Amino acid sequence: MATISFDLVSPEQLLFNDEAGMIIVPGKDGDIGVLPRHSKVLSSLRPGRVMVYGENKNLLKSFFVTRGFVEINPEKCIVLAEGVNEMSDLDKSSIQQQIQELESGASDSSKEELAIAQSKIAALDSTFYEKL
Amino acid sequence: MPSLKDIKNKIKSVGSTKKITSAMKMVAASKLRRSQEKAEAARPYSSRLEEMLSSLASSGTSGEGVIQLLTGTGKDERYLIVPVTADRGLCGGFNSSINRETFKFVKSLEGEGKSVQLLTVGKKSRDFFNRIMKDKIVESFADFGSTGAGYDIALEISNKLQNFYFDGQFDKCIIVYNKYVSAITQEVTQQQLIPLDISQPKKISNEKDEKDNSIYIYEPDEETILKDLLPKNVSIQIFKVLLESNAGEQGARMAAMDNATRNAGEMIDNLTLVYNRTRQAFITKELIEIISGAESV
Repeated sequence: MATISFDLVSPEQLLFNDEAGMIIVPGKDGDIGVLPRHSKVLSSLRPGRVMVYGENKNLLKSFFVTRGFVEINPEKCIVLAEGVNEMSDLDKSSIQQQIQELESGASDSSKEELAIAQSKIAALDSTFYEKL
Repeated sequence: MPSLKDIKNKIKSVGSTKKITSAMKMVAASKLRRSQEKAEAARPYSSRLEEMLSSLASSGTSGEGVIQLLTGTGKDERYLIVPVTADRGLCGGFNSSINRETFKFVKSLEGEGKSVQLLTVGKKSRDFFNRIMKDKIVESFADFGSTGAGYDIALEISNKLQNFYFDGQFDKCIIVYNKYVSAITQEVTQQQLIPLDISQPKKISNEKDEKDNSIYIYEPDEETILKDLLPKNVSIQIFKVLLESNAGEQGARMAAMDNATRNAGEMIDNLTLVYNRTRQAFITKELIEIISGAESV
């Protein structure tokens, strides 16, 4: 089966740079599944999971990204993400604690952080896409 | 004529200075490598972002709000200058060249009748401009720690800039920083941050675009993406500048300390020569005294 090369870049470093069988990215208007020879798309991202699959549709890695962009062309898929965590690095209890602290805040920035933290929890809870 | 003891003390003190400067040189060299790696790691992100932006910007949108980061306010009256220096000294002309350049630039803009404000980054520019034009400083960022500024600081600066911009406090923002050319050379560079100067990134991506001219599908749509992309681009540009400046600082310090070490070595050689001559003269004098004493008996 064909592969598509996938880059995950944050401002600080290159996190993933390899061939993949399929990638699912959280586009602003809904999740986008990217297979090799996908048509050209430029989309912004919402906070959510980026799932990377190998050639046999086995899950290689999953990341959580907060905001960013994805550029897709037939050979390459590039995710530019502002904040990236590996899903396995996220700790549910500390995020829940963070949510509790943020819920009291009224400023715009704390609301934004709250939304991100909540989507982190949602991402941790969901088992979607884990097995195809 | 200094006594033997004076010279000996001097040699000793120059020797310990030499030890310090050579240690600083080695520290700077290892930090330079790290900051170079950092700057390298940030490059894919900023270059992709620039490419995206240039393909979007050519679609020629206009309007209010965030788009003004691209189109400008249409005026050319008030400037915000952002000099980027290091927090620490002992790195040759690194900081003073930025300060001098910024000062000259401010004076020339004022000569043209524009109003100028300053947002300083780094302790050295803050201290310098606090002394000579305190009233112009709107904000100062300093104390980034030993590892240099991270993305969070770039974000903070960029948010501040955009707040000022959308409050209508300035029309143009120009950042003055040391561009990292090589380990021993830095170039004082002025870059326009707001409104965005897209003539540069366009040049880079042109060759590729010509080969591959099919059209992107934009999701949600071009304007929304552009509105997301523009503020992010400002912070990325600032981040890039901070990284370059940090690498440049380490390079400049390394070169300055290398020079200082070499000068100290030379000084020690000279002083040792003087010391030995003086000692020799002293011995000869004593011998003559003894001989002439013996002769007279």
